Amino acid sequence: MAKADRPIVKRSLFSWVFDGNLRWQFLLLAIIAVAVFTRVLPLEMQKRIVNQAISLRKVDLLLTYCAYYLGAVILSSACKFLINVLETHIAQQSLARMRIALYSHIITLPLSFFRNTQPGTVVNAIVNELAVPSNFVGSAMSTPVSNLLTLLAFAVYLFWLNPLLAAISLSAYPAAIILLPFLQKRANAANQQRVDLSRTFSGRIAESISGVHEIHGNGAYRIEKSKFDRLVEQLRRIRVIWSLYRFAVKSTNNFFTSLGPFLVFILGGYLTIKGQLELGSLVAFLSAQEKLYDPWKELIEFYQVYQDGRVTYDRTMEFFDVEPDYPLAPADRPAYELQAGLEVESLSFYTDGGIRLLDDINLRLEPGEHLALVGFSGSGKSTLALCIGQLNKYSGGHVRIGGQEVSGLTKQDMAANVGIVSQSPFIFEGSIAENLLYASEAVAGDDGHPRPSLDDIIAVLHQIGLFVDVLRFGLNTLLTAETHADLVKEIIRVRRKFQEKHGEKLSDYVEFFDENAYLFHSSIAENLTFGAANRGDFAYTELSRNDYFLRFLEQSGLHPLLLKLGALLTQQTVDILGNLPPEAVFFEQSPMNADELPDYKVVAEHLRRRGLDDLAPPDRDRLLHLALRFTPGLHKMVALPADRQRLLLAARTAFRERVSRDLPGIFAFYSKSDYIFSQTILNNILFGKTKSSTPQAQEAIAQNIIQVLIERDLLETIVEIGMHYNVGGKGEKLSGGQRQKLAIARVFLKSPRLLIMDEATSALDNTSQARIQNLLETRWKRKSTLVAVVHRLDTIRKFDRIAVMKAGKIIEMGAYDELIARKGALYELVGRK
Amino acid sequence: MSSLDESSPTPSCEYQENLDILRQTYFFSGLPLESLKIFAYLCTREKFKEGDYLFRQGEDDGEAFCILSGKTQVERTAGEAVLPIRLLETGAFAGGLTLIGETRRLYSLRALQETVCLVLSREKFAKTLDQFPGQRPRIFRAVVAAITDWEERFLEGMAEASCGGCTAKLGVSLL
Repeated sequence: MAKADRPIVKRSLFSWVFDGNLRWQFLLLAIIAVAVFTRVLPLEMQKRIVNQAISLRKVDLLLTYCAYYLGAVILSSACKFLINVLETHIAQQSLARMRIALYSHIITLPLSFFRNTQPGTVVNAIVNELAVPSNFVGSAMSTPVSNLLTLLAFAVYLFWLNPLLAAISLSAYPAAIILLPFLQKRANAANQQRVDLSRTFSGRIAESISGVHEIHGNGAYRIEKSKFDRLVEQLRRIRVIWSLYRFAVKSTNNFFTSLGPFLVFILGGYLTIKGQLELGSLVAFLSAQEKLYDPWKELIEFYQVYQDGRVTYDRTMEFFDVEPDYPLAPADRPAYELQAGLEVESLSFYTDGGIRLLDDINLRLEPGEHLALVGFSGSGKSTLALCIGQLNKYSGGHVRIGGQEVSGLTKQDMAANVGIVSQSPFIFEGSIAENLLYASEAVAGDDGHPRPSLDDIIAVLHQIGLFVDVLRFGLNTLLTAETHADLVKEIIRVRRKFQEKHGEKLSDYVEFFDENAYLFHSSIAENLTFGAANRGDFAYTELSRNDYFLRFLEQSGLHPLLLKLGALLTQQTVDILGNLPPEAVFFEQSPMNADELPDYKVVAEHLRRRGLDDLAPPDRDRLLHLALRFTPGLHKMVALPADRQRLLLAARTAFRERVSRDLPGIFAFYSKSDYIFSQTILNNILFGKTKSSTPQAQEAIAQNIIQVLIERDLLETIVEIGMHYNVGGKGEKLSGGQRQKLAIARVFLKSPRLLIMDEATSALDNTSQARIQNLLETRWKRKSTLVAVVHRLDTIRKFDRIAVMKAGKIIEMGAYDELIARKGALYELVGRK
Repeated sequence: MSSLDESSPTPSCEYQENLDILRQTYFFSGLPLESLKIFAYLCTREKFKEGDYLFRQGEDDGEAFCILSGKTQVERTAGEAVLPIRLLETGAFAGGLTLIGETRRLYSLRALQETVCLVLSREKFAKTLDQFPGQRPRIFRAVVAAITDWEERFLEGMAEASCGGCTAKLGVSLL
């Protein structure tokens, strides 16, 4: 449909009413027609019951008419329900379509748009604001049609009963139509003032609370109170005015709708007394009058929904009514396959504010040549790289890739030929594999771009130096018996081999699962059970609710101790983390997760008010739950004294004996010959947990494990598992170096003809940086053209050419040795460094 | 409440100890308790064996170290030669500037014996300060004071020992 092709920001709100909803809207119309009939039918039945059945004392007629009446009421209710279902369906479908269309539009907008737009504005527009217009779309046809038809049907029926009486009783409505919008307008104006004043009011409260120490320090309570009093008074006044107008709208509406029955009583009563109107007709008239109120009220409310929906929709679309800088895909040809020669001619770039960042840039690269852009911060290196990559829209001059002007290329042309690694690469929520394939997937299928194979991916991981990291993610995975039955057997063999060859020398870095020692890097639950549950209700997360386990804690005297420990952990953690946002970095060393914090804040408050002894059972459950999760090696806000460790260790033996007797087989106790499914692959191989996270420790463990995995030919299997590791929002579970390596790997996997790297290795250590540099020289030189913004000058020797930039200009360009020999700007820069 | 009071946070818990140490470290000592508590919680303790590097010259590891026990040596590599600069022992704090901004190490720090450190990463530091933007100036003030103090002591030391042509390179506090 043509409407669907138009950008959402150019579409009217009404275009959504039928677009994609046509058949649902027709179905709705049919149901509405039935519904209107079912609303009028009872009126006629009322009349006949009074005039015929009651007057003529005919019971059979009474039963027949009552049956019709009941049938109409049931059918009417069913119709109403169906109408609501369809309205909801249309509203939600339209909301989904609006969200998709708006999101698709927004992500194509120029980068300059986002420099001036807060992410929150976009989120609010898509998540909240579109809900209001979509509600209107849901009822845009049904509400006015059904209510107008109902009104019309009632009016026709009334005229059919008695034209004079109908005309007089309906005369009140036109007056209401004139007066109500006028009052509504005033109410809207007052509402706007109320919203503005409320913002000021909130701002004032926030300011006072943040500066409360100043108020205390100056004893300025009176001053603050008087400032606050004035605002309260203003707000009170405007709220009264707003409320009065709202009530005026309501009362006026009520008044006019109530006038109808009054006129019917006066005139209808008179006519009935005079014998000119049947009593049954009068009853039907009164009923119809009363029923007129509902559709009328719904129409008035609909008017309000329409106004809100229109204003919100128009405001949202106006805000995002910005043209993308470049078309997304060519209309009449496949994406170009460009030769990667690069020409930049008289290039200039100005910011929106008219500040010149690039001036008369000229350079030329043959396909496969490598160029390093160097210079001080602010010299324009990144700006130039972004202009070449079409991320900045240059103001003048030319940038040509393979002879094609970049400003005339579509985004698809660029994606197919150019790979960009930005200064702060963005890693999206998802698995390592998804992020690795991000750039390749974006162009896969376009003009024969193949999807990389697993071998390609593993090769790139090796080249970039991410292989060991991904291996580590794989090693930190929990396996299940159902999906990896064969693998776990292999891992037991790996464990044996590992223990034989490397066990002893890693004891500084690993806390081995020792039946006779308290494990500081395992939770209290793990320490007590020293095993993995084979039944769900004995899993670590369920133990605080497991009756058998609770009885054991009571009888062994551990219950009160653990409750105290839980209380202490709650108080300390809430005190430290209580006001922090739910970011992973704050909760990695906490016994409670970010989403549990609000509940534990309530428990901490209960603890403060009532004390531990008077705490309600659900709160005590939470304390126990937390205590069982406590891992002294990780959670440092509470200490676990030696006497408590001894108690727990003694309880481990007692628990094992008791469970083996009462519930044999319910726990698989840690044993060197069994795989522990509650532990990661790494912990299974180590038969323990790592104690230290220093690079030295990680390196030592990784090296030894890799050696054994290679021997058992398991290395790539574990890496494949590691590729499913979820990197968290914005890749927060990765280090800065890992994020940067991942960003480089995803572009390398795409094998672009032109590679743009904007300080792409700044977060890498020396070894990794040298590895990437070496890779560029051996694998990419003569194959892909490279424009690299480089900060570290010790890495630029082997670039074909070096351009030194200063204040938006290239002040010198040539090979490294040539420029150094010239003793110009590069010589100066290298000397400074 | 009584049952809780008798087992209130034991003074020996690591978090409490970290808090005490940070309060005595110039970089953190000016901060209010609300943010200090979070830094104390986020710090980790790491043990380095003799010969291990805490950080290496030329790398941006983004970590600050407070030495709790042991002995380390600051070294500068020039070509093949490794020049020992000075020793950092128990109580020393190294890496405040690393926490503030990305910078490559000009020196390596190597453990001369088994050394235990309190370690805080730039990411943890930055994310915590994001919660208390008003406290950034306090950190900057502490750093400015430390740089000035360092150069002042250096200048005073120069009165006793001549440093040849090094006077031309003085003036780090003028930056």
